[in-house]
Amino acid sequence: MSKKLQLSRRTFLRGAGTLMALPVLESMLPRAAGAAMPSTPRRLAVFYTPNGIHMPKWTPTGTGTNWELTPTLQPLAPVKNDVLVLSGLANDPGRPDGDGHHAAATAAFLSCTKAFKTEGTDFRAGISMDQVIANHLASAKATRLASLELGNDAGKGIGNCDSGYACPYANNIAWAGPTTPVAKETRPKAVFDRLFAGYDPGATQASVEKRKAYGKSIIDFVRDDATALKTQLGASDLRKLDEYFTGVRDLEKQVEAIEAEGPSCNPGVAPGNDEDPRVKTKAMMDLIVLAFQCDLTRVATFMLANARSLKVYGFLGLTGGHHTYSHHQMLQSNYDALATIDRWEVEQYAYLLQRLKGTKDVDGKTLLDNSMVYFSSEIADGNSHEHKNLPVLIGGSGGGALTPGRHVRYNAAPLANLYISLMQAMGVPGISSFGDNGTGPLSGLKA
Amino acid sequence: MTSRLRRGRSWRMLAGAGFALLLAGCDGDSIPQARVLPGEDLPAPPPEETPPGNNQQQNECKDAPRDVGRITLHRLNRAEYDATVRDLLGDTTQPARDFPADDHGYGFDNNADVLSLSPLLMEKYSAAAEKLVETAWAKGVFGSCALSAENPEPCARDILSRFARRAWRRPVAKEEVDRLVGFLALAKARGDGPEMGVKLALRSVLVSPHFLFRVEKDPDPNSTTPHRLTDVELASRLSYFLWSSMPDETLLATAEAGKLHQPEELEAQVRRMLADPKANGLVENFAGQWLYTRALDSAEPDATLYGAFNEDLRSAMRQETQLVFHEFITGEHKLKDLVDAPFTYVNDALATHYGLPKPGSSTPVRVDLTGHPERAGIFGQGSLLTVTSNPDRTSPVQRGVWVLEQLLCSAPPPPPPNVEGLPPAVDPNQTMRERMAQHRSQPACQGCHRLMDPLGLALENYDAIGRWRMKEVSGAPVDPTGELPDGTVLRGADDMRRFVKQDPKLPACLTEHLLTYALGRGMRPEDACAVSEIAATAEASGGRLSDYILSIVLSDHFTQRRGEPEAQKP
Repeated sequence: MSKKLQLSRRTFLRGAGTLMALPVLESMLPRAAGAAMPSTPRRLAVFYTPNGIHMPKWTPTGTGTNWELTPTLQPLAPVKNDVLVLSGLANDPGRPDGDGHHAAATAAFLSCTKAFKTEGTDFRAGISMDQVIANHLASAKATRLASLELGNDAGKGIGNCDSGYACPYANNIAWAGPTTPVAKETRPKAVFDRLFAGYDPGATQASVEKRKAYGKSIIDFVRDDATALKTQLGASDLRKLDEYFTGVRDLEKQVEAIEAEGPSCNPGVAPGNDEDPRVKTKAMMDLIVLAFQCDLTRVATFMLANARSLKVYGFLGLTGGHHTYSHHQMLQSNYDALATIDRWEVEQYAYLLQRLKGTKDVDGKTLLDNSMVYFSSEIADGNSHEHKNLPVLIGGSGGGALTPGRHVRYNAAPLANLYISLMQAMGVPGISSFGDNGTGPLSGLKA
Repeated sequence: MTSRLRRGRSWRMLAGAGFALLLAGCDGDSIPQARVLPGEDLPAPPPEETPPGNNQQQNECKDAPRDVGRITLHRLNRAEYDATVRDLLGDTTQPARDFPADDHGYGFDNNADVLSLSPLLMEKYSAAAEKLVETAWAKGVFGSCALSAENPEPCARDILSRFARRAWRRPVAKEEVDRLVGFLALAKARGDGPEMGVKLALRSVLVSPHFLFRVEKDPDPNSTTPHRLTDVELASRLSYFLWSSMPDETLLATAEAGKLHQPEELEAQVRRMLADPKANGLVENFAGQWLYTRALDSAEPDATLYGAFNEDLRSAMRQETQLVFHEFITGEHKLKDLVDAPFTYVNDALATHYGLPKPGSSTPVRVDLTGHPERAGIFGQGSLLTVTSNPDRTSPVQRGVWVLEQLLCSAPPPPPPNVEGLPPAVDPNQTMRERMAQHRSQPACQGCHRLMDPLGLALENYDAIGRWRMKEVSGAPVDPTGELPDGTVLRGADDMRRFVKQDPKLPACLTEHLLTYALGRGMRPEDACAVSEIAATAEASGGRLSDYILSIVLSDHFTQRRGEPEAQKP
């Protein structure tokens, strides 16, 4: 894994440095494993932004195809016909007990499960929809990585996160299970290395087999260690050990999937670790595009910042922290600051859509055609911590699962139902309920 | 981190009501009273808070049931991982910087409950192990015996048994070494030499749960009867508390000899370890989080108002707090003196920022603060003053909450929804005090703010980047007075320092934070008696940080643990 990146010999694209890649070859795609897997890969990306959105400058007036871009949605102009705007969805399970709206709603952001209020060992949310999809794809051995979790902020590591809610609730949106947040990577270069390092072009089949055998022997050894420990530990300890076993299983799958050749695409040059949010966000977006393009994963989640983020957007000419502005007290100056931040967030999302749109997929369409790119925040209005009328965008057609270019209004339909639709579109079989309040697919996504 | 022990810990909750979670309520204009969950019936608090260690307290704790608690299987956090590979392999590359961030709980990122292990992290561990072993092998870290082709086993056994013992921080059984040596046969079968076999075994050691977790076993996992930790388990508790790293040879050998649990031996080891440079782990990880110094990394003062703030100052402020705290580790200062210590460490830039005479150095120099009481102690330090401010103005509330939370453990609950944050000054001539008063006029806010605001208002002479000021940004003169709910008036920072330093809650609160860090778990109401006893012992022995640490290390809470009844699902 620590070897220097070497490009696959099959690579013949010039212009390394621009993050461009060859389309995945048809022959490299996994054979459809049963009817549930669509033949052309579909992909899901999630773009989370904290602290809500100033809705008056967000929500379009017209519906159907007859809608105009609002000030905040203006950056979507180049991809307006590739985007669905969904208004009026609600995520009731995000409501906290007492205070703690940001952490509780962030824990429920993709899980639609009410988080148990605690700062201790008994934190508990629910599996998130991205992980349901990842599990399904993993069982079909679709890609090397079941999912990719990215974020800009590692977290300050001081004080509390949100009013008696444990920090994992505030810092993760992907949950592999009720007690297992899926940690995110916050360093672009480390992500790049994970995606593209560790290949050994030119290695013989025998040496690849040897590497696998060695990797497997280490895994067997440490698994035995963990198994022997089991009898001498209490119940909470065993939960931690379960995480270890899960990690070992995951590692095992990766060892089994070792190949000499890397993905048949040119990853270009590794990004640096620049902490400027403008640079870092773009680097993360580019990594999502690369991972999709090289078919290394089909599920990616991204947290622009952690829940209740106090980030100061100095480059937008702002001086206060984001969370502070979000408690706008109905003051125009705060509305203006929020709209400025919101628009910048939409700009980053629009950049991702445009990159996907500019990249060819195996079937000759664009990556965006075969993707669903979900944008939202854990709440709507930040002052009142609104869990309804959420700001929801979905970019792409999901391989024909969606009809974009429209604005659809709902009357407090559960967000969980949207997720049921997305999971179904991603080929997850037998999904008819989800989270605390998902009852079935959401109507109106196809015209 | 809202204290679980709260006001009232020093009154009668201790007798029999230990399992009630106390909640501070802030009703109207009364001092927050401890409120308990329904079903508990507590007497009213006495009018006066009673200092820990007094007779009443001792009487209440005498018959209270004791519960040393337990610590969930403790994964090494990123700081501990990096320090451990540094001491184990001499590797200073800090591989954990590329691991996903650790969550924190109860104010610290070594909280075992919230330290999870994701598949991603497992992947990182595996990659790091391979790299660490290759690098260390190339440097000849693993010893000097020769792995001969015809009989490599004795040398391999020697290398692996010594390495596993140190990495796993305990004696290694023969069967474990046998299993490690088994990798030689595997390598041979694949046509590789013994060197490959040993490297695979070394990598396994570093991915094993025995390395990644600090394992403490319960002979009877379902029993709540406390039992003493083994001496080697105790050695790891001690080294990760004081060093954020593995035990060294002296400590491990003492533990293996079965001597570590003896109080005089424990004390000798603590004193030896505090004198070691590795005790800087306490500065980085305990003080860095307790005093909020780490937040300085992400502080972003508004450049238009506070253009004076720059990276050099940021770094000088960080070093100041670190160096001051470092003096408390081995020095004779009382821990309470952090509040008003008459010395600090500044370079020219920071001295100028503070209005102190320049020491004539670009690196920090220890200076005496006689004649400059405004810079005494933690409340004179730019690091804390900056991180408890908003980017564009001071925040008396944040400063007040910090004091209540980190020094007095009596922070009120968070504000109800919809009343967070202070509206910007609509009237530029309004002073901070007037704006806060307006805020306090709202009934929902009043109860808590009467507690928080005065402590923060008394620090109003320090601006949002810690400079001394007589005028607010608006030009209005600063009025640094705060009136406490009992009528006590604090006239500025000196009064405030005196008030905090003599508060009887201070020793128990210092203990609560230190014990939370030492154990890697949050405090529960059941821990109240232990906390106040540890505090009383520490104060009686001199009140230095080393006294607090010793008092903790010698306590049952630190030397014992228990199992747990079958898991309870929330």
